[in-house]
Amino acid sequence: MIEHSLGEFEELVLLMVAAHHDEAYGVLILENLEEKLGKKINISAIHVALKRMENKGFVKSRFGGITNERGGRRKKFYAITALGKRVLDNQYALRTSIYQQIPKISFS
Amino acid sequence: MKPSPPHRALRFLRWFCREDYIEEIEGDLTEVFEKQYEQSQAKARRKFTWSVIRYFRPGFIKSFNTSYSTNTIAMFRHNFLLTFRNFKRYKGSFFINLIGLSTGLACALLIYLWVNDEVHMDKFLKNDERLYQVKQNIPTADGPLTTDGTPGLLARTLIDEMPEIEYASSAITSSWFDAQNGVISIGDTHFKAKAQMVEEDYFNIFSWNIIHRGKDRLLPDKYAVLISDELATRLFQRTENIIGKTITWKHEDFEGEFHITGVFEKPPANSSTQFDLLFNYEFMLEKDADNLEHWGNSGPCTYLLVKAGTNIEALNDKIRDFRKTKYKALVGTKYLEHIGTLFLQRYSDQYLYDHYENGVQSGGRIMYVKLFSIIAVFLLIIGAINFMNLSTARASRRMSEIGIKKTVGASRKALMFQFLGESMLMTLLSSMVAILIVALLLPEFNAITGKQIELSFSKEVISSILAITLITGLFSGSYPALFLSRLRPISTLKGKMDFSTGEPWIRKGLVVFQFVISLILIVSVLVVYQQIEFIQTKNLGYNKDNIMSFVREGQQDTGAEAFMNELKNIPGVVQASTFGHDLVGDYGGTGAVVWEGKKPDQRINFGNLEMDYDLIEMLEIEMVAGRSFSKELGSNRTQIIFNEAAIAAMGLEDPIGKTIKLWGQEREIIGVAKNFHFESFYEKVKPCFIQCYPDLQNILVKIKAGMEKETLTRIEDFYQKHNKELPFDYRFLDEDYQALYAAEQRVSALSKYFAGIAILVSCLGLFGLVAFTAERRLKEIGIRKVLGSSELGIIKLLSGDFTRMVLVAIAIALPLSYLVTREWLKNFAYRIDLAWWFFISAGIMVLLIAWVTVGIQTIKVARISPTECLKDE
Repeated sequence: MIEHSLGEFEELVLLMVAAHHDEAYGVLILENLEEKLGKKINISAIHVALKRMENKGFVKSRFGGITNERGGRRKKFYAITALGKRVLDNQYALRTSIYQQIPKISFS
Repeated sequence: MKPSPPHRALRFLRWFCREDYIEEIEGDLTEVFEKQYEQSQAKARRKFTWSVIRYFRPGFIKSFNTSYSTNTIAMFRHNFLLTFRNFKRYKGSFFINLIGLSTGLACALLIYLWVNDEVHMDKFLKNDERLYQVKQNIPTADGPLTTDGTPGLLARTLIDEMPEIEYASSAITSSWFDAQNGVISIGDTHFKAKAQMVEEDYFNIFSWNIIHRGKDRLLPDKYAVLISDELATRLFQRTENIIGKTITWKHEDFEGEFHITGVFEKPPANSSTQFDLLFNYEFMLEKDADNLEHWGNSGPCTYLLVKAGTNIEALNDKIRDFRKTKYKALVGTKYLEHIGTLFLQRYSDQYLYDHYENGVQSGGRIMYVKLFSIIAVFLLIIGAINFMNLSTARASRRMSEIGIKKTVGASRKALMFQFLGESMLMTLLSSMVAILIVALLLPEFNAITGKQIELSFSKEVISSILAITLITGLFSGSYPALFLSRLRPISTLKGKMDFSTGEPWIRKGLVVFQFVISLILIVSVLVVYQQIEFIQTKNLGYNKDNIMSFVREGQQDTGAEAFMNELKNIPGVVQASTFGHDLVGDYGGTGAVVWEGKKPDQRINFGNLEMDYDLIEMLEIEMVAGRSFSKELGSNRTQIIFNEAAIAAMGLEDPIGKTIKLWGQEREIIGVAKNFHFESFYEKVKPCFIQCYPDLQNILVKIKAGMEKETLTRIEDFYQKHNKELPFDYRFLDEDYQALYAAEQRVSALSKYFAGIAILVSCLGLFGLVAFTAERRLKEIGIRKVLGSSELGIIKLLSGDFTRMVLVAIAIALPLSYLVTREWLKNFAYRIDLAWWFFISAGIMVLLIAWVTVGIQTIKVARISPTECLKDE
């Protein structure tokens, strides 16, 4: 059974995939995440998340063309699926609704 | 140039990573690496390796089992299928290979079983490693003579004086009792049985299984006896509750009433000694004390169990002069030079290493074991060569297959694997057929070899069969695999055979090799056969025809003389007499002959044959001078006859009438007998003398030729009348004589089969090759015929090549076989000369067989109508 749960790191990767629609691939996601989060991430973590989400059906992938870059290896581009988008929306809605319940307290 | 990521890490990644992920991952990793490389090379490398290691986790590792083996299985199935299709398509060469390999394997298996049986003789004993027998080298005029006989007190003295020895026992073995079985009786039941006399410690040395025993020791007193379970069943129909029962034993050397103290399991077939009864050695020691308790005499065997870790060399040195020392202490130096030296031989070794020359171990049964092992290997090689030749010769048919496979990307290794697999499958099939053949032939084989081998599938046998099959398969597949996998795809696809010049030579060389082996075997068979024929027809110096013998035993109520007279009067009996020995190796011996002119240090061993009146005449032993014994002419007690060899050895001239001293008594020489053979042809006729005694133990009867059957019945009736309880056991002299050469006859019978098989298999191979060549040159033949070549011309063309090969084989094999057979014949003191025609006839025979084989094929091809073979292109 493929569960519809989404881990924290997975959510970040999924967001990144959605943000760079159909142009997202491993290294791009890695660099953008590192920039946003301000910390070093191992590429393998990205791949693990991507493969998991692909199995869950949140993202789909296609190979790019052969170039002379990357030792002649093709890039694999990821795009978010409808299911992925819905999960992301649900997650966002859930968080926002809970967030809005926070009383207006001054933290000063 | 782009920097390349760490080589080893990358290879590791490629090895474990899933195929559908690898491209993406490798690409991403490389990209990261390249970017980082600009900042720090070392860090980039470290990072890359670390990342690779992080991928080593479930989900990214490919499943090795399925993905890897599906390919192997697929290739395997593919190869299997191709092999079967090839078998089906080329039935001719398939059957040639099958027959060749399976006969080769069957022979190898049979020989393996035989060798295995021989090698394991006596090895089953529990203390095998530490079990030794003392042997003795007795000095004689012709050099030391090795015997089993040792002084009767040796065992008990050795155990007292040598701390290395754990147990020791003297034993009088059944062969010592003049090879005659005694008779055992209980009431009216009588059986013949083989006996041994042993000491109590014997049971600690030999691990015979004692099934039942009394509470007491096994041999508590002189009259104790142990019997085998088989004998017990025959006597009492049971093995239990017979301890304490009394049996009566009668034998020429000793007899009496004995009580049973134990039952042992009869020694298995792979024991070299066989016996039904074990008596107490003390009995004989007391009875024959003069002989047995004196260090000047030898008789019983001595068996030892040495302590674990004993240095046998050192012990050997210690006992070498043991007997001499004892003798010297007892008698002094008189005749000391005739006292033998002692040495040890492992008990289980003496079956195979049973032949001594000049006191040194030399051959024995091990020779035949080695010989047949070599033959087995050669037969296998011949079969394997057929396979090699046929499969390389047929390579042209498979050239396109090999070419295409190579173009598609098959590696040389894969092709080698395919061809090796093919040969493996072939040998595996053949070995199954071979096992079937062995199962069918085993009874026949047992009859020839005189063994009781069974085809039991023990772990050892199965693994040996597998090993033989595997090695044969590898061997026969090796050359085709190497050769076929080397072909270059371009030329093979063009249809050109790119033989480098060496290939046909190798194939021809293999054929020559096959024929060399076959020829050597054929020549050997011829020579062995001739030698045996020679032995059997040679004038022995006596006439062995129509003479039967039986042992005087049991109650002869009428007395010896009346018994003999009655026997002589039976119709059909020409003559009857008695003999103390036999003519196939059993004779007494002594050096105690003193003659006129004997030098003080001269010693000649004389054979001592005891004969009754008329025996010399009956055996037709020719007298060169003087006369034979006669009842009318003087007392036989003071007379003696020598053979020519003895007279020559003593250097007597005009011997008739002279007197000599035998054992201190004067004897008159009344005659000289022409040399006759009284033992096997391995030995020269030795000096011997004949004494006359009436009524000896072996009764010999000469029967009128042509009346054997009815006379035998009459003699049997007569015998039964006098010995009611005893079975009538008789032998013919020529049967005894044949038995003397049982080993040679086995070798001759077996080598006949093996030579036949060798030539058959070789010819099969030749047949296959000819068939193949003819097929390939079919078009050429067609054109030749169109242009007017005659059938004969074509036959010549095709068989010329093969004739040359066989001729080369003959040229190589004949000198070799000459050497081999000459070596074998050296064993015989009396032997045939190697005549040229043995070799020539063997050569011609092989050439003819080869021609017939080639001819059948070539004639068929030569007759073919040119239109047949030229019509299609």
